[in-house]
Order: sequence, then structure tokens, then C-alpha cells
Amino acid sequence: MKILKNLGCRFNQIEELFISLLLLAMIFLASLQIFMRILFDSGLVWADPLLRHLVLWVGMLGAALATRYGKHITIDIFSHLLSARGALRLNLVLNFFAAVVCGFLTWAAFLFIKNEIAFGSGRELVGIPVWGWNLIFPFAFALMTVRFSAKIYEHGVTLLQPKSNSSRSISGSA
Amino acid sequence: MKFIIFALALLGSPLFVVIAALALISFYGVGIDLSVVVIEMSRLADTPLLLSLPLFIFAGSLLSESGTPQRLLKLSQGFLGWLPGGLAVVSLFVCAIFTAFTGASGVTIFAVGGILFPALLKDDYPERFSLGLLTSSGSLGLLFPPSLPLILYGVISGARIDQLFLAGILPGLVMLLLLAGYCIRQGRGVKKTHSAVSKREMVAVLREVIWELPLPIVVLGGIYGGFLVVGEAAAVTALYVLVVEVFIYKDISLSQLPKIMVQSMVLFGGILVVLAASMASTNFLVDQEVPQRLFEWVREYITNKYTFLMVLNIFLLLVGALLDIFSALVLVVPLIVPIAQAYDVNLIHLGIIFLTNLQIGYCTPPVGLNLFLASYRFERPIAELYRATLPFVGLLLLTLLIITYFPLLSLLLVETFVAG
Repeated sequence: MKILKNLGCRFNQIEELFISLLLLAMIFLASLQIFMRILFDSGLVWADPLLRHLVLWVGMLGAALATRYGKHITIDIFSHLLSARGALRLNLVLNFFAAVVCGFLTWAAFLFIKNEIAFGSGRELVGIPVWGWNLIFPFAFALMTVRFSAKIYEHGVTLLQPKSNSSRSISGSA
Repeated sequence: MKFIIFALALLGSPLFVVIAALALISFYGVGIDLSVVVIEMSRLADTPLLLSLPLFIFAGSLLSESGTPQRLLKLSQGFLGWLPGGLAVVSLFVCAIFTAFTGASGVTIFAVGGILFPALLKDDYPERFSLGLLTSSGSLGLLFPPSLPLILYGVISGARIDQLFLAGILPGLVMLLLLAGYCIRQGRGVKKTHSAVSKREMVAVLREVIWELPLPIVVLGGIYGGFLVVGEAAAVTALYVLVVEVFIYKDISLSQLPKIMVQSMVLFGGILVVLAASMASTNFLVDQEVPQRLFEWVREYITNKYTFLMVLNIFLLLVGALLDIFSALVLVVPLIVPIAQAYDVNLIHLGIIFLTNLQIGYCTPPVGLNLFLASYRFERPIAELYRATLPFVGLLLLTLLIITYFPLLSLLLVETFVAG
């Protein structure tokens, strides 16, 4: 379990670094395009499509991180009426539901990529076929599935412990 | 099954999970391959406007973490502080400008409200008035470019974003002026601690904000002048703010930067997956002609445009009070746009009506987000805030009526500058 946790920590650090670099790259690439257009009346043909794919990358990875931090957009009307233990039980159900749905999304994304490889347009962007850029979908959804599942595990462990511990923080670091 | 999913949504399941689940089940139900759901999501790569969202969010996060709120406050004090109710009016303008650039995600109440509240109390403004002012100003400025909800409405509805940016200005100003009038009236009895500022002080303040002043001009001038599309304006803003706050003002150290980047992308990621999931569900709804059937049903009861607008307003106020603005836009816009067009409502005008409603919803009991944020930030019970915001919500509702029934207010600038 400890090795798994260390591995997870390392992965999280790399993920956050990667997101920061992606964002910086987007800012500079988009700015470069503007300067090249205004100063030299030219531009990089591949920059705009690349930027549009990078937006999806940074966003989907951000969403995977939002899963870890519990920062997804929710309609939260009733949950504050529950006791700490009740909220924990509810969270167990919600995370289970989310893990199942993300599992199906991962599978759907996998099918999508498979079809694109088989019947896709064969278009390329900076040397990588378009289906390669779309790999972010199965990857991010798989990551979310893992993270929602890890939360089920954490909440389950907390619930099984004696009552005095049930108010312990439930924000894990899956 | 769908009932269970709705129940889970109300209990706090992530919204994108709920929408994706509904889309998966719906497509499965009519025997369509599930990969369609992700195909629809991947079509977001065809939306050039999307680039502006993460970049504006990042720029907004940087601004709110930096010393900009303080500097902005000083500047407005210098120009407007002499008015009766000066500080209250200053608060309105500062909140509006700040929200336009940071996008009504609650940062205004935290970053700006936190500075303004003690200042207002020190100037002897009644506590209830100050609370109401700051709570309802937390989403003021939503109609001014380059606000994120405005861009998101453009992404979802397909309305021209440059026209939306023009359309929001006059309604936003009317709203500001109405509120400012109220503040001036309320502020007459308040002692004046800020007499006219000397010329030398003004120069000092101006010198301090010299690097931030060009920002609105660069962004808006670039867009309206036709030099930049919105995505590019966002890139320039992000780069500019990054350089100014980190290297010139040094408000933010290099080591803080990754954390702010990650936080803002988590925020963007949350919005993006909801948007992605709704691409799939909307596609299903359109495929099944749901908006069409909804319209036929509505037509039985509502025959003219003005009744429709009234009912729409009531509906949107309810939505705004229950949902946060991003999910409200993503869920409701695709359903309403076809119906509104059937009633001959202008798409741009509709956008302004939408955002005004959602803005008011932010401070409407029982669950308006601003109320919770303000209750948390100012450490006051929420019931006290309900009463405090009442007069302000009243004024905002008045603005809503004006905006709804005088379409020209929203469309005048668009018609003037975008001939044809």
C-alpha cells in the first residue's frame, strides 16, 4: 500500500508540473502567433489546431485533478443537512456512481480511439495522427475512474473504523 | 433509472457525471454506439473560442492573488472618493471591473470584499448596507467584457462573441448607475473622511497603477478594433498579467506560480468536463427533437413574445438561484435558444437577459452562491445577509425588467458598430 501511495504522489507531482508547462506553452504559442502576424504578416500553420488540442489536454487533466481535490461543479443543495457520518455514507454512494460512469466513459473513449485508428481520416498534426491527440480522453477518464475508486476505498476504511474517528478529514490524496 | 440519477445530482454528484450518465443511457436506449458520447466531446477541438477560457481564468487568478485589488481601490478612491456615498460607489466600480476580468467565480467577494468591508465600516456606513452592497456586487460586472460567462454563452449558443461584448456594455452601465444612485442616496448621512485628493496624490496613484491601466485598453481595443480575436486577446492578457505581476510588481513570486496555474486549470477542467458532457447530451436532445417538442408544448400556453420573456425570466431566476452560473448556462442555453428564436427573440439580447438573471440568482435566497461566500468571508449568519441584500436585489430586478423589455439597450451598440 505504501509503495502505491508513493507512486501516486510522484505521479501527482509530474501531473501538476505537466499542466503548468502546458499552460505556459499555450500562452507563448498563442502570443507568438499574434506577434508573427502583426509584425511579419505570417504565422505557423499548425499552431492554431495544436492550440485547440492543447486546450482539451490541459482541461481534461485539470478535470482529473479536480477529481482528486474534490473540486468538481456540483448542485449541492441538501448535503449540508447531513451528519458527518451520513455525509460520509452519501459520499461513498456518489463516488461509486461517479467511478462507474467514468468507467463507461473510459470504455466509450477507448471505442472511439479504436474506430478512429481503423476508419479515421489519417490526418496528422505535427507528426502525430489526430487519434493520438484524442488519447487524452481515455487517459483522463481512466484517471478519474481510478481516483473516484480510491475515494471509495478511503471512505470505506474511515467508515469501518470506530465512531470516534469518523469525523477525520476525508480529503485523501489518491 | 433516470430518476435515481436526478436524485444523485441533487445530493451533490459531480454534474458532468450526471450529464454523462444521462447521455450514455439515452444513446444506449436508442441503440447507438456509446463512442458517440466521446466523439461529441472531441468536437470541442473545433471551437476556437474555447482557448480564451483557460487563459482568462489564469489571468483572473493571477490578478486576484496579486496586489491589484488594493491598487484598483486606491485609484477609484482618487477619482470617486469625493462623492457623497463615495466609498460605496467606489466599491461598485471596483467589484464590477474585477468581476469582468475574473469571471464571477466568487473571487470578487474574497479578494475585493475582504478589503472593502472594513473600509466601509470605518467610514460609518451601516453594517447591513455594507454587507448587502458587497454581497450583491460579487457578481456585478458579469455583463462587461471579457467576462467568462459571456464567452461561455457565446460558445454554447453560437452567438457572435464580439457582438455579445458590445451588447453587455449599456445594460451593465444602467445597472451600475442605478446602484450608484442608491449608494449616493444612502451615503448622504455618512461622514466624509475622503475629501478631494490633491493633484500630487493623484499623480502618485496613477504612477502606481501605470502598468495595469493599459490592460483593459489592450484587451478591449484589440477586440473591438479588430486586431485580435477573443482567444488571442486572452493570450495577450495572460502574458501581460504574468509579466506585470510576477516581474514588474513582483506581487507573486516564481515559486507561487505553479500553484496558481494548477488551481486555475482545476477550475477550467471542472468547467470543461461539464461542457464536454453536455455536448453529448445536447446532441441527443436535438436528435430526439426535444427543443422542438418543448416549444410546441410552450406554444399552447404562451402566445406572445412578451409573456414568453416574462416566464423565461421567472424560470431563469429560479435556475440562477439553484445552479452556479457555468452549469446553468451549459444545461439551459441549448434548450432555450431554439424556443426563444421561435418567439423571435434576438440571440444577443437573449444572452444579456440570461446573464442578468443568473447574476441576480447569485444573490437570491436560499442558495445563491454569493450569500454563502459572503457569509463565510464576513462571518455573518446567512439569514442576516438575506435581509441585507434585499434592496439591492430589488434594484437588480428593476434593471432586469428594463433589459428585458427594451431590447434596444442591448442592441444599440451592436447595430451602430456592426452595421449589417
